[in-house]
Amino acid sequence: MSTKNKGYMGKIMNVDLSTGKIQIETISPVVYESFLSGMGLAAHQLYHRIPAGADPLGPDNLLGFVSGLLTGTGSLFTGRWMVVGKSPLTNGWGEANCGGNFSPAIKHCGVDGIFFTGASATPVYLYVDDTTMELRDATDLWGMDAVETETHLLKNLGNKKGRVACIGQSGENRSLISGISTDKGRMAARSGLGAVMGSKKLKALVLAGTRRIFSHNKEEIKRLSRICNRWVQFQPPFVPGFLTAPIGALMRIMPAVLTQDGLLYKILLRKWGTVSMNQMSVEMGDSPIKNWNGSSADWGFFKSRSSNPDVFIRRETEKFHCYSCPLGCGGICKTQGKFSETHKPEYETVLSLGGFVMNKDMDSIFYLNELLNRAGMDSISAGHTVAFALECFERGIITTKDTMGVELKWGDPGAIEFLIEKMITRDGIGDILADGVKKAAERIGNGADKIAIHAGGQEPAMHDSRNDPGFALHYSVDPAPGRHTNGAGLYYEMYQLWKQVKGVPKMGLGYLKSSKYKKDIKHARIGKANSQYMNVMNGAGACLFGGFLGIRRTPIFDWLNAATGWQFTPEQYMEIGTNIQTLKQAFNVRQGLNPKDSRVKDRLLGLPPQTKGANKGRTVDIDSLMKDYWELFEWDRETGIPSQVHIDKLASIA
Amino acid sequence: MAYFILDSCIGCENCKTVCPSQAVMGEKKLLHTIDGTVCIECGACGRVCPAKAVEDSFGLVAQKVSKENWEKPFFNLETCMSCGICLDTCPAGALSANLQRVGNRHVFPYLPDEAACMGCGFCADDCPVAAITMAPRSALPQEA
Repeated sequence: MSTKNKGYMGKIMNVDLSTGKIQIETISPVVYESFLSGMGLAAHQLYHRIPAGADPLGPDNLLGFVSGLLTGTGSLFTGRWMVVGKSPLTNGWGEANCGGNFSPAIKHCGVDGIFFTGASATPVYLYVDDTTMELRDATDLWGMDAVETETHLLKNLGNKKGRVACIGQSGENRSLISGISTDKGRMAARSGLGAVMGSKKLKALVLAGTRRIFSHNKEEIKRLSRICNRWVQFQPPFVPGFLTAPIGALMRIMPAVLTQDGLLYKILLRKWGTVSMNQMSVEMGDSPIKNWNGSSADWGFFKSRSSNPDVFIRRETEKFHCYSCPLGCGGICKTQGKFSETHKPEYETVLSLGGFVMNKDMDSIFYLNELLNRAGMDSISAGHTVAFALECFERGIITTKDTMGVELKWGDPGAIEFLIEKMITRDGIGDILADGVKKAAERIGNGADKIAIHAGGQEPAMHDSRNDPGFALHYSVDPAPGRHTNGAGLYYEMYQLWKQVKGVPKMGLGYLKSSKYKKDIKHARIGKANSQYMNVMNGAGACLFGGFLGIRRTPIFDWLNAATGWQFTPEQYMEIGTNIQTLKQAFNVRQGLNPKDSRVKDRLLGLPPQTKGANKGRTVDIDSLMKDYWELFEWDRETGIPSQVHIDKLASIA
Repeated sequence: MAYFILDSCIGCENCKTVCPSQAVMGEKKLLHTIDGTVCIECGACGRVCPAKAVEDSFGLVAQKVSKENWEKPFFNLETCMSCGICLDTCPAGALSANLQRVGNRHVFPYLPDEAACMGCGFCADDCPVAAITMAPRSALPQEA
């Protein structure tokens, strides 16, 4: 069966770094019909090809770079690429998701994914164009940061068009919180997959193919895209940045909230980007403060005002659009000091290096943003690990003897910069911290594990599960735990799936906030739908923020049918989401993980409840929620393990 | 389907030089061939062939077009959504983006070096909002 006009390329590239052998493998259309491309194709590959008990930093691990099914078809918000492999941070399913322009570059090389096995003896990079696919020596690149590496490799291309993904020093040093960079600072940051790349001595991928991407019904895709774009371009004037905090405070005070339409968030994203939430999130209780121990009361308006979103817009010289994105939430900002410019810091970075460590100094955050991007270190995990170190010092678990004489104080930009610089170079205390909080706590001992906040080994993102218990659920049950993009109660409101998918929970006009904390099977049903849909979006290569516009405005299912020629119903696509989630869970189980072990730490659950701030008195009953979620997927209610019959059925698809 | 080189090829290498996908093979003054698995049907080979030796995917012999008459993209910045699809789809990497509208920080596409554009029209074909039209530069209104 021809795959030429189905949106996907129908092939993958397999690179054995031990032998240098590179082969193209044809993938059966049945695999795409069952798992889509992108994350689904990756789940299929990893499940079959990584042996049980494989060392994540050893040659048996498989590292994949995959594009989405909709990438390059004319659909919008579909330029995401994903990196997958066994995570050295969690010892289970590892995934990281990134925008920029690398996703179509994979398909222009004629494949939907590039998978690396083995390990090279010396540093190499992969070069692919229309007639060449080869490993090239990267000895000269080893030691360069990600921006230097990309600049150097693009310069070598001359007039030829190409895209680069690479690691910085953190990945080379096998820091377990390192990621992979593209477009000089966009990061596939999570799951520590930069360390896997470093362990394979793979410095970069340079993709310079020009293959065309064909769809079944291109005109229909474009018609749907024009409708989507009309919603994106709807941009009424909005309040100045300093008023975002009072809006957040109002949302905190109100006992009930309106079900949120993502169009409002789109307006914020287009104006400011994710930094629009810097102060609003703190005020409404979405931002964890001081290593999850603080609250909005500790990081009120006057402390957070340096992160007013207008501060970032004043430094922004131009907007940054990822491939096929009409929104442009990213930006390029001027900075002072060592670096002249940086990608506009994301909300996650501003908070993890700001309120989470009590740092008000935005110059420091701009500097660290660029430093981390260049080193290829995950800013969420890095901020988390710094906060952990600061609390260890405060509690006397570590002292100046451990910190090379430096006093570690909350909110001290000098101490924060010191720790991150040392983590990047693995020097002294940095070597202890460079692998995230779980490993650091094991190395430090002395009760440090009690303040090491993680889910299954990965540091959770900057969204407080006491404010939205959906985050607690997805941090805990997702095969890649601790990730904020996989689901939340708020996300479900914005997806508006009930407008197209039969059988999923409907949301009314609004609800009482207290209802979020009451035991109700609806929460698990929402969680299941979130996971299913996110897997479909990751199979399609779709952006979460596009999804927030709602299924009618960002018509993922309709685009998929137009691209492939399939006539699947939305419910069938949601089943594909179940297939992907189940195979990822089965992967974890085969790797020896116990799904219960990725339950988030008590601090995230309000155990004990906070005594002040936006989340005062709130507690999340995660244990029953996790069981309900597992049961809805038809996995074992008590253990979270899918049935062997279910696994065998999915595994037999080839 | 792909483009095809006929026996009337004189081996001038014009097609080989202009092909952005390195799909054309052959030695100078000898018959050239196109690798059908690599060809992206941009048509550049046909537009530069002096010997009428290139057939397109429909079996029609391509006509040589003088470079000054090659179609180039015109961008409607009012319609453009800055999505970057055109930049990506251009096989020659001829397009770039920069700030062009006062008070607007979104970047818009432009053609920095006209000679780099092969006039394939992929950018116009792939633009979801039809913000690009292809026409010879001579179609531009002359400045007074």
